[in-house]
Amino acid sequence: MLKNYFKIAIAVLRRRKFFTFISLFGISFTLTILLVLTAFIDKVVGDSYPDRKRDRSLYISRMTEVMQQDGTSSGPVSFYFLDHFVGSLKIPAALAISSGFSGTNTYVNNKKIAVSYKYTNAAYWDVMEYDFIEGKAFNKQQIDNADKVAVISEDMKNQYFGDIPSVVGKYIEADNVKYRVTGVVKNVPITSYMLFSDIYLPYTVAKTDFRKDKGYRGGFFGVLLAKSTGDVSRMQSEFNAMVRRLPMESKDYKKIYCHADPYIVSYVDTGDEKRSGVMLVLSIIGIFTLLVMLLPTLNLVNINITRIMERSSEIGVRKAFGASSRTLVYQFIVENIILTLLGGFIGVILSIIALHFLNSLNLIPNLVLSINFTVLAIGLLVCLIFGLLSGVYPAWRMSKLNVVTALKSQ
Amino acid sequence: MFKHLFKLIWNKKKQNFLLMSEMFFSFLVLFAVFTLLVFYYQNYKKPMGFDYKDVWVVSYNNSLKTKNTDSVNAYYQTMRKNITAMPEVNDISFCSDNIPFSSNHWTEGVTYKKVETDGVNWFTVDANYKNTLNVKLLEGRWFEKSDVVSKYKPVLINSDLKEKLFGAEPGTGKILDRGDKGKDKVKVIGVIQSLKLGGDYAKPAIALYNLADTGSYHWLGKIMIKVSPTKANAAFEARLYKLLANYMKDSNVEIEHMVNKRTEVNYFTLVPMIVLLTVGGFLVINVALGLFGVLWYNINKRRGEIGLRRAVGATGSSVSNQLITESMILATLSLIIGTFFAIQFPLLNVFDMPAGIYLTAILLSIIFIYLLVFLCSLYPGKQAAAIYPAVALHEE
Repeated sequence: MLKNYFKIAIAVLRRRKFFTFISLFGISFTLTILLVLTAFIDKVVGDSYPDRKRDRSLYISRMTEVMQQDGTSSGPVSFYFLDHFVGSLKIPAALAISSGFSGTNTYVNNKKIAVSYKYTNAAYWDVMEYDFIEGKAFNKQQIDNADKVAVISEDMKNQYFGDIPSVVGKYIEADNVKYRVTGVVKNVPITSYMLFSDIYLPYTVAKTDFRKDKGYRGGFFGVLLAKSTGDVSRMQSEFNAMVRRLPMESKDYKKIYCHADPYIVSYVDTGDEKRSGVMLVLSIIGIFTLLVMLLPTLNLVNINITRIMERSSEIGVRKAFGASSRTLVYQFIVENIILTLLGGFIGVILSIIALHFLNSLNLIPNLVLSINFTVLAIGLLVCLIFGLLSGVYPAWRMSKLNVVTALKSQ
Repeated sequence: MFKHLFKLIWNKKKQNFLLMSEMFFSFLVLFAVFTLLVFYYQNYKKPMGFDYKDVWVVSYNNSLKTKNTDSVNAYYQTMRKNITAMPEVNDISFCSDNIPFSSNHWTEGVTYKKVETDGVNWFTVDANYKNTLNVKLLEGRWFEKSDVVSKYKPVLINSDLKEKLFGAEPGTGKILDRGDKGKDKVKVIGVIQSLKLGGDYAKPAIALYNLADTGSYHWLGKIMIKVSPTKANAAFEARLYKLLANYMKDSNVEIEHMVNKRTEVNYFTLVPMIVLLTVGGFLVINVALGLFGVLWYNINKRRGEIGLRRAVGATGSSVSNQLITESMILATLSLIIGTFFAIQFPLLNVFDMPAGIYLTAILLSIIFIYLLVFLCSLYPGKQAAAIYPAVALHEE
């Protein structure tokens, strides 16, 4: 049965090449756009390098303080808050603390190199699983001694030292200070803004001593790691209980909001307590997808309906011989899905070309987009939805044709 | 004639409904794309308001242990002298960290005649700011040394804020309240041309400039340096960096070039624009092909009707005119519905954009859709005109 449908579908496709072209063009380009979009989203929020333990981590990125006159101020938290308050929690197995990245310059042979640097504690290297190309991270001992050591990224190594095999033990100068390199890690794209940097330094070597500032807000991010995935919700409630008990920083404030959230929630955080970032991002993506899919779908429906008459004799004969409307609808839907899958195939090839092109442009350094199984599965799903959307209504209209009119119009 | 065409359209309302909804959604997509394009273009046309070439930005943080204002001042005055002494430096200005092309904003409200205006960008700058950035003064005067001790704190405002607060009246000499408490009064001493802080394609924000006083040096975080275009090179930059880093031992120092910052900030508007244009372009091509296909197919189906019209004396051009007018009427109907929705944007003042931008965008989208439909029905119409009555009627 299916084989017959397949044969009919191919025959129909070949009969009117122009219309087939329009249909395939619409389907494949729609899919290309959606596939590139999903590849991007998948890379930005789904790629788990270097924080591979996301399923048992909670991210602390921001604190909002409400003032007496209802004004709010909000920003990343301070080292003191993380170290003193969050550090006292019982359930977390580890607490990674790192500053947001900031920029400075270094000059090699009068050539300027822009450098991003970030301060971390020792647990950061246990919680995150950076891929070390050589050497290793600095340890707690080195941090306590305030040793001038640094972990650098692969890009930094190539820019600063050039193409040499090993740089561990060599000195790198940044911000007018020399640091000894202890390890080189694989690059992180800047889209992972909580983890990106060119140079990672122990927090004790910073020019200003973070530990002295007793305010709650500063420039730091924290990542809480639970022992197991089951502990995550308990860890979150312990954190929330701690925030509720937190004394106000001064009399000017009346309420403090601070959350330890899973990665996605903290990544799309809008900085507004009342507006959920996840909802915002989802609705933007939803509207975009709807618009991108709606027009080609309408187009396809339009073309399909226009072509009913072309096949009216076929429908008439089948109906006359007793085929029910359901069988006909079934046949047309199968035909449409075959067409969409064909378009999907072309779409995947176009997407590979488009992604290759985007990667070669290098718009965001180290962000290499690729089609993976998640993206392909989503693409296939989109194909099926698209096929059903554009196939059901025309098929229903076709099956409703009267036998007499269908046979007569030829 | 139109009545007759309407009848023809009505007879095939189901199919035409789909065509119309396709045109309707294309109109909405085009409206969105054109709104953004017109908005960016209007901003692009406005002057930048300052010179960004050969301006370097130094970021630092005040890490002096002392809280004594005099010693902080003396410290930074010495640094200013040291930098100015370099032959490659033309001008230097200390200012708050909301410099052009940065993502830092300081906003506050001002009150004039009991009406509070929110979201005014508040800049703290020193007296050299005007020369360093080559800001254009439109009326009044720039800060002078004696301003530090005047009764009301002197401020300058930009032309956009002047327009918003005073309309066509001159701004110089007006007294404003900072915030809405009425305690902190400031006096406008001049108006400068608005600076496009967010790059070439951004709308200039309303802004107010106040003079850095002696206490400001505790928290100012940026130095803008106008360098000589001929003398300043990479070696000088390295030298300047060493000088700054050695002088401010406990501070992080970064030097950036305004030119690069401008490229970066433009990139953030251009990339989404290019993505949107690509997607919009693809949708339009898709719709055009679909329209073309449907119209073409319809004409093939209406050979009998057309043949009959030709047989009773209609000319080829009148046949093709009929078909083109039919599709134009369809387009008009969907454009009326589309415009009804689009006109809500200026009426409800969505996204706080001037109504002119929306209206221009609506007009452009209407023209575009008409053009598209016309082009798509041109060839099918021509084909219809070429139908021989004998051949067409013979087939029946």
